[in-house]
Amino acid sequence: MPRSKMEFGRYLRQLELNGWGKEGQKRLGAAHVFMAGVGGLGSSAGIYLAAAGVGKITVCDSDRVELSNLNRQTLYGLADVGMPKAFLAAKRLKEFNPQIEVVPNMAEIDHGGAKKLIEGADLVLDCLDNLETRIAVNRASIATGIPMIFAACSELTGHLSFLHPPETPCLECFVSRTPPAVEPPIPGVTPGTMGALQAMEAIKYLLGVGENLTGRLLILEGMEPRIDVVDIERDPDCPACRGLR
Amino acid sequence: MVIYLRSGGKLRDRLKPDVDIYTRKVEVEGTPTLKEILEQLGIPDGLVAFAFADGKVRRLNYRPAEGDVVTLQPPVSGG
Repeated sequence: MPRSKMEFGRYLRQLELNGWGKEGQKRLGAAHVFMAGVGGLGSSAGIYLAAAGVGKITVCDSDRVELSNLNRQTLYGLADVGMPKAFLAAKRLKEFNPQIEVVPNMAEIDHGGAKKLIEGADLVLDCLDNLETRIAVNRASIATGIPMIFAACSELTGHLSFLHPPETPCLECFVSRTPPAVEPPIPGVTPGTMGALQAMEAIKYLLGVGENLTGRLLILEGMEPRIDVVDIERDPDCPACRGLR
Repeated sequence: MVIYLRSGGKLRDRLKPDVDIYTRKVEVEGTPTLKEILEQLGIPDGLVAFAFADGKVRRLNYRPAEGDVVTLQPPVSGG
């Protein structure tokens, strides 16, 4: 269905939220979100973006489904092992909400090509699983001026922030360049929770309602449990956004 | 000077909490950086991505003040 011919019936329960309404729904329907990665974070974020009626979602992931993904990457099942995630994710999200457009992309995201990949999107979701690719997307986000919603997790810990320098720090202003010494354990509930929060940040931004996590980092400590929201500052020596005004 | 370090997850095993199950009381001489304090405790700084204290994200060159509660964060990965 063309995005201009949106049916509102499936969105009735969200239209009455302050700042939403049919106009807000149309704004969501006209929006394009680029999802970098459709693993555990992307499975969760993607479902909620599709359910909310974000009109176009690009799902970019060069990986294929592995058996060990299935504890947390809820878009996939046993029969999908060995299949490309981007195409499966696009198919599942489109089945979930046929009113939206979902574009699969199996490209490797790297420093050379990230900018071209995200161009034209209104927003980028960083649902990645490695620092190098995150940095490539961060640099592309800075170069294009497209805001990026960062989420990451390990064990029962999750991090989330809305990054749009120079208004906010960029990823490289605060993230450690030290990758985890060993691949951390990740139960499905952590990326599931963080992906849902990532979608919430995205929807607020696209609707223009509420406040985003600008200059702030949300830290979930699921074990205790507690949630802290702490300030993050631009690093004047940041290799990515230094000098950006 | 006394400071309090907190952490969850596997990092907590290295921290050896003694105040509660997440928190360790640490006595330090002078005003060392967080990196130096972690070295003193035998915690490799590669296990700590950053910390937060007093409502702000702090890097490993942060010098905690008397009574600070510093929460250590592990490097995170993805989904």
